[in-house]
Amino acid sequence: MSLLALFHWFEQTAIGNTIRQSHWLFPVIEAVHLLGLGFVGGEVLLVDLGLLGLGMERKSMAQLSRDVEPWLIGSLALMFATGIPLFLSESIKCYYSFAFWIKMGALFSVILFTFTVQRRVTRMTSARPWLFRFTALVSLILWSAVGWGGRWIGFS
Amino acid sequence: MRSRLLISPAALMLVFCYFVTAPSGASVNSLGSQTHLASESPSSEWIAFLASRKTVPLGTMLFEEGGNQGIGQSLVGFFGRMGDSPWSTGLHESRYAYDFIESIHVWTLCLFFGLAVMFDLRLLGWAMRDVPVAELARRLLPWTIAGFVIMAISGSLLFYAIPLRSFQSIFFRIKMIMLLLAGLNVLIFHSGVYKQVETWSLDAKPPRAARVAGAFSLVLWIGIVLSGRMIAYNWFDCDRQPQPAIINFLTNCVPNGSGN
Repeated sequence: MSLLALFHWFEQTAIGNTIRQSHWLFPVIEAVHLLGLGFVGGEVLLVDLGLLGLGMERKSMAQLSRDVEPWLIGSLALMFATGIPLFLSESIKCYYSFAFWIKMGALFSVILFTFTVQRRVTRMTSARPWLFRFTALVSLILWSAVGWGGRWIGFS
Repeated sequence: MRSRLLISPAALMLVFCYFVTAPSGASVNSLGSQTHLASESPSSEWIAFLASRKTVPLGTMLFEEGGNQGIGQSLVGFFGRMGDSPWSTGLHESRYAYDFIESIHVWTLCLFFGLAVMFDLRLLGWAMRDVPVAELARRLLPWTIAGFVIMAISGSLLFYAIPLRSFQSIFFRIKMIMLLLAGLNVLIFHSGVYKQVETWSLDAKPPRAARVAGAFSLVLWIGIVLSGRMIAYNWFDCDRQPQPAIINFLTNCVPNGSGN
């Protein structure tokens, strides 16, 4: 099965059809998705600003990132729970959207990065400052790409 | 020094918005600037991006208020005229400026709403229980203030671009009321229990007054984000009749009358 055929199948799923046929389902799910953006953004910024030395004290970073992690996972779960139905309702549009593929690529990378590299770096008791900053910058750039892609799917 | 650093992004954005919406000699035909069709060459996109016809400065309409038929109706007239002003029309019809400002408004959610939520969760004793509240406030507050400034500026511009429809939107009104309540909540919190923050800063579970403030803030801001998103939808707009009488009453809408 080609990728396009798969996306056609997504578009025809019961969830996709239900959302497309409703006047209010898409807006409501999308509003909750937006709420999730705010949650994820707050949690990401809290850790990344700290790593950059612009937010919380660096000495408390290890504990802070451990505290924030369950909330980040929860917010990401909310994003997936709302994002997947939104995608199912317009998968063909997404297939032809450049922004969608940017978003998916960045999303995959940033999740991988956050839960492997960044997790390890924030829990180091001592490391060179540039390592903290570099980690934060990579995380911020990738998350921005996710956010940009998400916004741009709506414009196209 | 730190606060000056934080104001500079907001100032930069204002300057950028000014250039995006600034008067320009060239004029694009209005149909071309309204439709989002792909244009022939990249350079003409830039011309459309920069060349909205704006000649009257922001706020000129403020002093041309006349008529006095109740506050709601007189404001309907006022915002109607504001919407007819060249700057407002230009912003509304611009090719990228409106979308750009709207994106800024949405992304600043992360900075303002996201960090505010994290602080609320700490006040509720749900997250970061071993981080002192005072430290969290000291470190996060500059960022949330910067976020709020960007939110307020971009939000005002979005309102200014479509003033009458926004003013008559039921969701906009709900949002504004919740915004006022959230502001009141901040005021009560800072003039009350937060004054003695040093006495409970290390508590895993802050005192009741602080938890109540956190809960109110969390619920109100979530409501503000949700109703803000809903402003984009025209289900209850004045030009879509019939609407339930209560909706028309709450939005100062007079069907087939002066208030549309």
